[in-house]
Amino acid sequence: LLIGVSGAPLEKHVPVPSPTKVELTCKLDDNSNLKDAQVTWKKGNETISHTSKTPNSWTIQLTVSDHSQLGNYTCILKGEKEISAVFHLEVPRIEGKEKPVITYEGDRAVMVCKTEYNAKAWMWYMTNGTELVPIDKILHTDKFQIKRQSASVNRLEILKLTQEDAGVYWCKAAFDLGTSKRRFELRVLSVAAPLKPFIAVVAEVAILVTTIIFYEVYSKRKQKRGEKEFDQTEQL
Amino acid sequence: PPDGGWGWAVVFGASISIGFAFTFPKAFTIYFKEIQAVFSISYSQIAWTTSIMCATTYGGGPISSILVNRYGSRPVVMFGGLLCGVGMISAAFCTSILQLYICVGFITGFGLALNLQPSVIIVGKYFLKRRPIANGLAMAGSPVMLCTLAPLNQFLFENFGWRGSFLILGAILLNCCVAGALFRPIGARPAPVKALVTEEGKDALKSKITEDGPMESKPEGEGGKDCFEKINHYLDFSLFKHRGFLIYLIGNVLMFLGFFAPIVFLAPYAKHTGIDEYSAAFLLSILALVDMVARPTTGIIANSRWVRPRIQYFFSFAIAFNGACHLLCPLASSYTGLVVYSSFFGLAFGMVCAMLFETLMDLVGAARFTSAVGLVTIAECCTILLGPPMGGILIDTFGDYKYMFIKCGTVMVLAGTFLFIMNYYNYRMLAKEEKERKTKEEDPKSVRTEDEGKKNWNKDSTQDGPELEPLREKGEEVKKETNG
Repeated sequence: LLIGVSGAPLEKHVPVPSPTKVELTCKLDDNSNLKDAQVTWKKGNETISHTSKTPNSWTIQLTVSDHSQLGNYTCILKGEKEISAVFHLEVPRIEGKEKPVITYEGDRAVMVCKTEYNAKAWMWYMTNGTELVPIDKILHTDKFQIKRQSASVNRLEILKLTQEDAGVYWCKAAFDLGTSKRRFELRVLSVAAPLKPFIAVVAEVAILVTTIIFYEVYSKRKQKRGEKEFDQTEQL
Repeated sequence: PPDGGWGWAVVFGASISIGFAFTFPKAFTIYFKEIQAVFSISYSQIAWTTSIMCATTYGGGPISSILVNRYGSRPVVMFGGLLCGVGMISAAFCTSILQLYICVGFITGFGLALNLQPSVIIVGKYFLKRRPIANGLAMAGSPVMLCTLAPLNQFLFENFGWRGSFLILGAILLNCCVAGALFRPIGARPAPVKALVTEEGKDALKSKITEDGPMESKPEGEGGKDCFEKINHYLDFSLFKHRGFLIYLIGNVLMFLGFFAPIVFLAPYAKHTGIDEYSAAFLLSILALVDMVARPTTGIIANSRWVRPRIQYFFSFAIAFNGACHLLCPLASSYTGLVVYSSFFGLAFGMVCAMLFETLMDLVGAARFTSAVGLVTIAECCTILLGPPMGGILIDTFGDYKYMFIKCGTVMVLAGTFLFIMNYYNYRMLAKEEKERKTKEEDPKSVRTEDEGKKNWNKDSTQDGPELEPLREKGEEVKKETNG
């Protein structure tokens, strides 16, 4: 269901985890002046006929039973202006960390994939050049651990990291109607990397503290010298 | 007190120190998601880290006060800075959430406690006439630090991951030592101290000697005292008989129930009304910016001739204004409405924070402020920790944020009104006692009033005498006006 607002492009992502019936409605805002408008529903170049129509809304009903029925469905409104709204019917997306995962040598890397709907199966891959190599957890239990926290959350742990482990990893979730995947970038830093700014800041602190203390000692000495002179002049 | 000169350097150092103490727990929340993923823990488990940090920072107040009474501000702050640094550096090597609780929660929290109280105390020692401005400027460190720490944390996290960030944050926290180095001790003159022997008991006298700078003349027969007297020597529990102190304590403890919750829930509330994440974060930035300007401005206003003698009323007004903002917030449903709310909230928040410690100093006097601030912070500790969870429960039960705002608003308006009425009563009593004192022309008995605090200042800083006299007389004139 989409409520028409002029100006911004209209899009909506509709996750479809398993075969189901879907109803898409384009509704015109009550305040709009576009009356007697013509609305067509299209998938690609194919026109789909309405299942129901009211003065302000146009609905189509679809039965999604396999992958080919997923895709972009557009409702096009031809009035004074042509407005279109797109519904993306797709497999559920995977949520995960977008920015690179930063870890250190010898540490443990964790990558978590999460979806809104329960996935049937999960797979993790690492890249070797351009090839996707599946990570077989049975083979390398001391290096890779794949933990299934629930049907919708899956987690890959890489232990005892080395520089070679850095790179791109993929997690794939299989649903009834297809698979969706997510990309992770793993960066492995050496222990020395944060040490440079660390030492820089510590040096700055040390320099400032010494400067302040020296200034204080200096000004106290000046004061004492001034007082001594004052006493001497008094004695005279 | 100098009221200037090196005092401004001290204010600068204090603003850094106070800034770290107040903003570090808030800025730390950026790491929550990552640590949650790495250690497989829930949100409430990681949130305990900052709760422990806050609790230790406020709960460590009395210990801080005792140490300042014994050693002076400078060594305590430098040690606090070291402790913070060590805490965060060790946190970089943690392998479990429990270790994080200890390193980040307790050690860093306690280090921050050793930073917060002494900074506030030393500002009170360096300033009298211009104290509100100094306090306002020192407290302004908090929003400035927040505006720098938050993006800095983000940058560190994106480039070094959480472990590297903790390491570098540890080094950054060592800057508190720099702030501490600026806290040149301002000593008590040993000679005038003898004049005070007849006024307050021997206990108070000894706490005066040990208060500023190193101990030159050790008090005799300390070993012969019993435990209770010794504690009283370092932490002035007789404050609980001080009328002004009690008023302040009750009012503030009540106020803190509703003080921090709106900030915690502002961004989630904005997202709840459909605003996107960046605009919601921008609301907090507006709040911080207005706060930054409001604090020194409030300090200047509070220092003016008209407001200074009635500063308690100004404080109560600021609290009630804060409460009114919260009560009106549910009416703001659009983004512009929330922007207006954020600006007014920032203003009110800044006003209250700027005067938070100034009013306490005004009530108990600089001499006993050291102990007062410690006792107040440990009492506030409970309500500060209770406030946001209470708000959270209200939001979860009713599913609507407006009840949380109403609760916070009501609590603060109540606190403001309470303080207003009680301070009116207090001012009248003070004026009455002042009249009695003047007519009798003898030393006051064991009635501890603001006048007595100021009189002590008179005696132990004789060269500043002429400066203080006009201030005191002005105060008396205004009190007579309010009475008559």
